[in-house]
Amino acid sequence: MIPLLGLLAGIVLGIVLEPSIPQILQPYLPIAIVAAMDALFGAFRAYLEGTFTDRVFVVSFISNVLIAAMIVYVGDQIGVGSQLATAVVVVLGIRIFTNAAAIRRALFHA
Amino acid sequence: MDLLNQIIRHPVDPDYALVAARGNESDNRRWTLAVLALIIGSLFAVAALQTTRAAPALQLERTELINRVQNAERAQDELQGRVASLSQEIATLRAAALGDDDAARALEERIDALDPVVGNVPVSGPGVLIVVDDSPSATADGRDRVLDIDLQVLANGLWEAGAEAVSINGHRLSSLTAIRSAGDAITVDYRSLTRPYRVEAIGDVRALQARFVESSAGAWWNDLAQNRRMRYEISDVKQLDLAADPGMVLRHAGKATS
Repeated sequence: MIPLLGLLAGIVLGIVLEPSIPQILQPYLPIAIVAAMDALFGAFRAYLEGTFTDRVFVVSFISNVLIAAMIVYVGDQIGVGSQLATAVVVVLGIRIFTNAAAIRRALFHA
Repeated sequence: MDLLNQIIRHPVDPDYALVAARGNESDNRRWTLAVLALIIGSLFAVAALQTTRAAPALQLERTELINRVQNAERAQDELQGRVASLSQEIATLRAAALGDDDAARALEERIDALDPVVGNVPVSGPGVLIVVDDSPSATADGRDRVLDIDLQVLANGLWEAGAEAVSINGHRLSSLTAIRSAGDAITVDYRSLTRPYRVEAIGDVRALQARFVESSAGAWWNDLAQNRRMRYEISDVKQLDLAADPGMVLRHAGKATS
C-alpha cells in the first residue's frame, strides 16, 4: 500500500511542483523511466512470489537507473547514443513484458 | 540467442531470491520504499509534463520552417518572373542596338537559331516523353531507385539522339544545368524533383526515339528497367511546351566592333 500511495503522491507532486530537469540530464529521463518501470514490475513480481525485500528493490532500482543512464551517456560520447538507448529499451522492455505476464498469471491465474 | 533466453528466463533480479533465502529482513526500511516510490512517481509526472509541454513548441517550429520555405519559394518565383521580363528587355535593347543593316540581320538570325538550343527561350513542338520512376521494391534496396547518374545518362542520351531541347519535370536543361543528388532527392538546377521523373525532349519525332533506344543511354535504361524493375516508359508526343531555363543569364555584353 505504501509504495502505491507514494507513487500517486509523487505524480501529484511532480505535476504541482513542476521541477525542471537540467538540460544535460534531459536525454536520460526516458531511459531512467524505463529502468524504473523495469524495477517496479520486477519488485511487484517478487512481492507476489513472496521474495520481496525493500533493500534489494532500492539497490536494484538505483543501480538500474544509473547503469542505464551511464550506458546512454557513454554511447553519446562515442557516437552511438541512440543505438545504445534502443538496446537498453529493448532489453528492459523484454523484461517488463515477461514480468507483466508472470504478474498476470499470478493475479488472475490466466 | 543465449542472451535473449537469459533475459526472458531471469527477468527478476536474482538478489530477491538470494536475500529471501538468507532469512527475513527487519521491516524498518518502509520509508526508503516510500521515498523511492515518490521519486519514481515524480519522474513519470515530470517526463510526461515535459513531453506534452514540448509538443506545441515543436509544432510551432515546424510550421515556422514550412512558412519560411514557402516564403522563399514565393520570392524565387517572383525573381524568376523578373528574370523573364528583364531578358525580354535585353532582347528588345539588343534589337535596338543592332540596328538594321545586313550584318545586324545576320547576327539576329544566328541569335534566333542558337537561342532555342542553349535554352534561352521557351520552345514548343513535337518530341518524346520519357517517364521514369523508382522500382516498386525501392524501399528494400537503395539500388532500385533512380539516381542522379541515371538521369544524367538519360539527358545526355537524348542530346546524343538529336534532341533540340530537354527538360526534366519542367526544368529546362542547358549546358549549365547540374543534375545532382542532394539528400534523398535529385536536384535539377538546385531545385529538388519529386517522383516520377518526366523527361521531355523536343526533336525530330521520326528519329529521336529510335536513335535514343539504340544509344548507350537506351541500353543503360533498358538494363535498369529489366534488371531493377524501374519504371521506364517512352512515347511520342505531338506537342510539348518547354519553358526557358531561368538559369541562363546575360553575363557579358559589348558593342560589336565591325
